[in-house]
Amino acid sequence: MEDVIVVIGGGPAGMEAALSLAGRGHKVYIVEKTNALGGHLARWDRLFPQQDPAQEILNDMLAGIKNADDKIEVICNAQVQSVKKRMRGLEVMLSNQKMILADAVLVCCGFDLFRAERKEEYGYGIYDNVLTSADLEERFKHKKVLCADGRVPEKVAFVHCVGSRDEKVDHTYCSKVCCVTAVKQACEIKELYPQAEVFNLYMDLRMFDRYFEQMYHKAQSHYGVHFVRGRLSEVSETADGRLQIKTEDTLLGRPMKITVDMLVLMVGMQACAQTEELSEKLDLKVSASDHFFETKDLFLKGNYAHTKGIFLAGACTGPKSLPDTLQDARSAAESIHRYLTA
Amino acid sequence: MHERFANAYDPFVIPYMIGYVFVLAYLVVALVTVVKNLPMSDRKKMLRHLFSFKLFVTIKDIFADCLLHVKIWKKNKMLGYMHSSIAFGWFMLILVGHIEIFFFAPHRVNLPWYPIFFRYFMMETETSVGGSVFFFLMDFFLLMVLSGIALAMIKRIRRRLFGMKRTTRLKWNDQLAMYSLWCIFPLRFLAESFTSHISGGGFLTRSFGMLFDWFNQFMNNDALIRPMWWAYSIALMVFFLTLPWSRFTHILSEVLLIYMRNAGIRESSKNNGYAGVEIFSCSRCGLCLDPCQMVSSASLRQMASVEFTRNVRLRQNKQAMEAASYCLMCDRCVQACPVGVNSVQLKLNLKAADVKYTYPNRYDYVEAEANPMDTGSAWADILHRTPEAAAPTKKVVRTPEVVYFAGCMSHLTPKIEQAMVRIFEAAGVDFTFLDKDGGICCGRPLMLAGDRTGSEQLVAKNTEAILATGAKVMVCSCPICYKIFKDTYKLEGVQVLHHTEYILQLMEAGKITVRKSSQKGVYHDPCELGRHSGIYRQPRDILYRVLNLQQTPYEGKDALCCGHSMAGEGMPYKKRRMIARDALRKMTENPVDVLVTACPSCKRSFAEIGTEEIRDIAEIVCDQLVTR
Repeated sequence: MEDVIVVIGGGPAGMEAALSLAGRGHKVYIVEKTNALGGHLARWDRLFPQQDPAQEILNDMLAGIKNADDKIEVICNAQVQSVKKRMRGLEVMLSNQKMILADAVLVCCGFDLFRAERKEEYGYGIYDNVLTSADLEERFKHKKVLCADGRVPEKVAFVHCVGSRDEKVDHTYCSKVCCVTAVKQACEIKELYPQAEVFNLYMDLRMFDRYFEQMYHKAQSHYGVHFVRGRLSEVSETADGRLQIKTEDTLLGRPMKITVDMLVLMVGMQACAQTEELSEKLDLKVSASDHFFETKDLFLKGNYAHTKGIFLAGACTGPKSLPDTLQDARSAAESIHRYLTA
Repeated sequence: MHERFANAYDPFVIPYMIGYVFVLAYLVVALVTVVKNLPMSDRKKMLRHLFSFKLFVTIKDIFADCLLHVKIWKKNKMLGYMHSSIAFGWFMLILVGHIEIFFFAPHRVNLPWYPIFFRYFMMETETSVGGSVFFFLMDFFLLMVLSGIALAMIKRIRRRLFGMKRTTRLKWNDQLAMYSLWCIFPLRFLAESFTSHISGGGFLTRSFGMLFDWFNQFMNNDALIRPMWWAYSIALMVFFLTLPWSRFTHILSEVLLIYMRNAGIRESSKNNGYAGVEIFSCSRCGLCLDPCQMVSSASLRQMASVEFTRNVRLRQNKQAMEAASYCLMCDRCVQACPVGVNSVQLKLNLKAADVKYTYPNRYDYVEAEANPMDTGSAWADILHRTPEAAAPTKKVVRTPEVVYFAGCMSHLTPKIEQAMVRIFEAAGVDFTFLDKDGGICCGRPLMLAGDRTGSEQLVAKNTEAILATGAKVMVCSCPICYKIFKDTYKLEGVQVLHHTEYILQLMEAGKITVRKSSQKGVYHDPCELGRHSGIYRQPRDILYRVLNLQQTPYEGKDALCCGHSMAGEGMPYKKRRMIARDALRKMTENPVDVLVTACPSCKRSFAEIGTEEIRDIAEIVCDQLVTR
């Protein structure tokens, strides 16, 4: 008899784990709350560190799932209603009244982007030319990044750590991917509009992974992006609809005022809105410090939830880059396989 | 037996006399210390008050506050009765006791222990009119005190009966003083009852005396009389000896506090003699515990004002400083204090005394230039209006009707500034936006942190800039700025208004018209605008015209703090959030569409924690403007 696994969430982690589990002969149901697979990946244009098109990677994964349709069943527009322990395995009830008897459940519910409106001083939702990194990515898809009045931006500033490492919004952690995304997007702006002047306002540049440091150097030497160490204090709109931003160059110890055409907020990751609900239904532990799910440990049981038969993968256990998420998903599949065959 | 009537002395009066002399000496020393620590002007006020008619007011106040505890009655009747029965009953026992001596033994007036142990030394008869009246009065007030003591005991177990969720935890010195106080009156009752078959007694002591007589027939008659008087005397001594180190010092210092306050002495910017009296006037009643949100929402009981005054008193400076740095200065405890101890001012003074000026001139740059990065701002216009600076290319400087000062916190909530600018434009007001492109801090945050020197520098510079505009009205959006502009700045000829006041003026003058929406909202009173500045009516008058305003139990003086005040720099964000979350939950217990406030700081505090819609009153008005 084949084992049945329910994967909650159809983003990159859920898809990759499903593929991995199906390859080992298990039956997988992917429960996705929206109407399509892909998660945040579907919203992105190109991916760091080598500018790979997001769509190609997503397409490859979707094709893999289609090929394994005897083993993987995708249930869109559905959410988990309840999970009950049974003699053997778990009874998963979905919102569309479908019931699945599962041997294991893998939670891959991912992350939400920080709501930039919460930092009112940055003017998101107030001034037309303040965007988030996700909004900018949407515009890159159309190869056109214009100001609200249709002008080509001459000056663009990126604000790092919006909703990350910020005690005031109760996000004391680093979201890991924003620094390198800002460097990537700054370079892309320069590719699109070589005349534009681009500023990056950062507090630390965390270029920790392979090729990241090289990207950062290229951004300066090749593209001429300015990096200013200092947090943004406030934004106001000028009479002609541009944005005046105030910051401090903490390396020079000098207050700065720059007028820019566009301001991009590098929004961080936060635990997804369903975290609390899922933690109750599946008896999962949530970290008091960052509100993401806790795993049994950070080493050998890095994909095990505290409840038997339930596993975790992807950014629902803390911010992760896409390569890390995919590897985590594969490692979760390996953990589940071991658990089922033990 | 007869020698005791003749001598009017027994060795058991010695413990009492020790305590009595000690308390008298303590009183003299304390009074001298207080007066020594007062500035000369305050000393003169104290002396002058002694010979003024206002002295009668003071006597009335002392009677109402120290004896009857009127303020506590207003809070809770049980609690009020408990306090006034002990204080007033005791006072009446002393008073009637002395009158009694004048009647029956005028030659004993000079013996200080005589009225205290009167029944032991004097025989009266209840059949005479005088005797029966005094017996009745003395027993009546004794019963009153005894009932108060009984309630005090019950309060320790069942404080909810007295309207208190929390009460103070007692340390050993307070315990010793309190238990000895509790013992004094039951012991007096027993002593008088045992003696009543000789001395006579009223409805209480004589009746119980007869009951005890019945018991007495089984043992050596009268054997318990003197031990009871001894015990009574020792209880008094213990109470007096522990008094200076216990909460009961307030019995003495509160009288002095009321006298000084009525003499016109106010808490000053230094913790001097008056502050000392305030600290010793704290009775540790614990009425400030429940209102304090640090205690109720953030489990910071040790930071409550009652603990702060205690730490100051015990010279535990580290703990006192910590409490001062945590306190959000919302003034809820000051509002609740029946004695009127301004613990917030005490904390501010403590902070100010602790500031170490490593860079005494660090705000000198504001003198040089308002903003070195910018030369085209309103600031530059105003600050360079000297003949040589007023270059011909600059626009002609006009005198606006209104000067608008948004403040730093409003810069962080740009929707408020936007709304205000639209309201000014809709009303057709000629205004100048003083800090549009950045300004200088109003100085209140520095003041709240204790840095008075730094604050003064900013105040001076801002004063110069505001007066230079020539405007007659100044509108500010931030209650934190508003408070210091009103209280500390000397802006002669300039009327300072918070935007709630100003918007209401515009509405009432018909300069702006609004339509009412069906939106359901509640209003949150910012501490600095409400309790600190007394502005409660104007925002409500505005809101009645623009939305469906709902009531909460936290209105006006009972308003909650948002957890985000400029004070409390020592408090971690985690604790601030706990306070904010709790306050928001309480105010939106009945769901509403929007929570309206009138302070950018409150707005941010609530907006950062939840998904509820939080808006400033200016934004709401701006949305409902009817454009002509």
